Amino acid sequence: MKSYFRLTEFELGRFFKFYLVLIGLTIVSQIIGVIAVSKEYMQEANEAIYQDGLSKQAFMDQRGLISLLDWTNSIWFLAPIALCVVTLLIYMFFIWYRDWLGKNTFIYRLLMLPTQRIHLFFAKATTIFIMVLGLVALQVFLIYIAGIVLEWMVPNEFMQTMGVSEVSVASQYVNTILPATFTEFVLYYGTGFMFVCIFFTAILIERSYRWKGLLFAIGYVAVATAVFMSLIFLSMEWGLFSLYPLEWLILQIIIGIIVTASSIFLSYYLLTKKITV
Amino acid sequence: MIEVNNITKKFGRKQVLKGVTFTAEKGEITCLIGINGVGKTTILNAIMALTPIKKGEILIDGEKLKPKTFNHITFIPDAITVLPQMTITESMQFMKDYYTTWNEERAQELLSFFKLNPEDKIASLSKGNTAKANLLLGLALDVDYILMDEPFSGIDMFSREQIANVFTSHLIEDRGVIITTHEIGDIEHLIDKVVLLDDGVVKKHFYTEEVREAEGKSVIDVMREEYQG
Repeated sequence: MKSYFRLTEFELGRFFKFYLVLIGLTIVSQIIGVIAVSKEYMQEANEAIYQDGLSKQAFMDQRGLISLLDWTNSIWFLAPIALCVVTLLIYMFFIWYRDWLGKNTFIYRLLMLPTQRIHLFFAKATTIFIMVLGLVALQVFLIYIAGIVLEWMVPNEFMQTMGVSEVSVASQYVNTILPATFTEFVLYYGTGFMFVCIFFTAILIERSYRWKGLLFAIGYVAVATAVFMSLIFLSMEWGLFSLYPLEWLILQIIIGIIVTASSIFLSYYLLTKKITV
Repeated sequence: MIEVNNITKKFGRKQVLKGVTFTAEKGEITCLIGINGVGKTTILNAIMALTPIKKGEILIDGEKLKPKTFNHITFIPDAITVLPQMTITESMQFMKDYYTTWNEERAQELLSFFKLNPEDKIASLSKGNTAKANLLLGLALDVDYILMDEPFSGIDMFSREQIANVFTSHLIEDRGVIITTHEIGDIEHLIDKVVLLDDGVVKKHFYTEEVREAEGKSVIDVMREEYQG
């Protein structure tokens, strides 16, 4: 267990500088974004009121009040999120391949550590997960800060005040990364963790069987995804089940746990018996 | 004792190992010799469970390799196995963090033996110094067995001499060593046992001292006989 924590800390350290850059870019882009969106709104308001002679109320009726949703729908808000998502998706592969690629023979050392090799799997998965949760936490903080900045920039009468949870409910984008309820949060990120396990297993299949393994790996991702989605196919497409929502949810969770456990078990087998440097 | 029993291995359609059997005892230096591609590195990888074998069995002190075994056996591949951006000190700390058999005193001794600067980054080391740092990380472990893959490959004469000196020092004493090398001349006088590999099998294995005394032949003489007919 000690080795697992050490390995996790080590893996976090290996990506930390790059991660700080992602955090920096997100902060800068989103803070500039809330300022830009506010300024744009105020410029529109000034033009309408002082140049076109519209009353404040007429402008507000016509344009609507400004809220954090104007910001969350802007490119300033969405671009850094997209960048973080893409970077972490790429890193999900790179976190393994970097130990094999080029002249790097670090995988020799990792596989020769006097610890269960599955700890490598868990350490790398935990690293990805911590980084994702870290960015989600940053997003919550930034929505809160953006609310304050918006209050500074725009007079209250033009503004519809929203808290983090209200933004989460109202914005489809925010809701995707920050579900409104804790249950949804666990389900969304649990599914995310399952897919990390599936992709890690696929990588280990490829690393164990190389070219032949690439086909097996693609096949494994397809089969695991199909199994996870099977309930949806069966109930929605063919109407084979008529389940209450709670029953459906419990069954879906059980399938998810089975797929995750199978991936971990297969990875354990590959790391112990089949992996090749 | 390391027992390699009838192991076979295929890469694609090519059968690299066709039933290799040999043993390596503690306190002896066993040298695996063969032309490139004969499977020397594959055997070392297989002993460390770094590549799967198709058939056969490998036992270390009578047991199959387990995670804890890595505290008793170490492998020094032909390339360094720590991150290039680490300094030598950091790489030593990394080893210390994970291995209960890390011997700091010996590590410091090796550091001065090889005249390495602990603050140097691995990536900035010359080929010779990289090989020495690699050796340091393996030899500073209090292990029973050491596997070395081509420790003299591509490095200068003085570094080779320095590394060869390790074999006559207390740093190797009482340990079981399996070494692969092309540069047999550098260590011929140091090795106890030779395993000649050819076409995926052990062509001949012998104790150097016995052959020297009984037949008056050096390792190179035997190699010439076996490989050139």
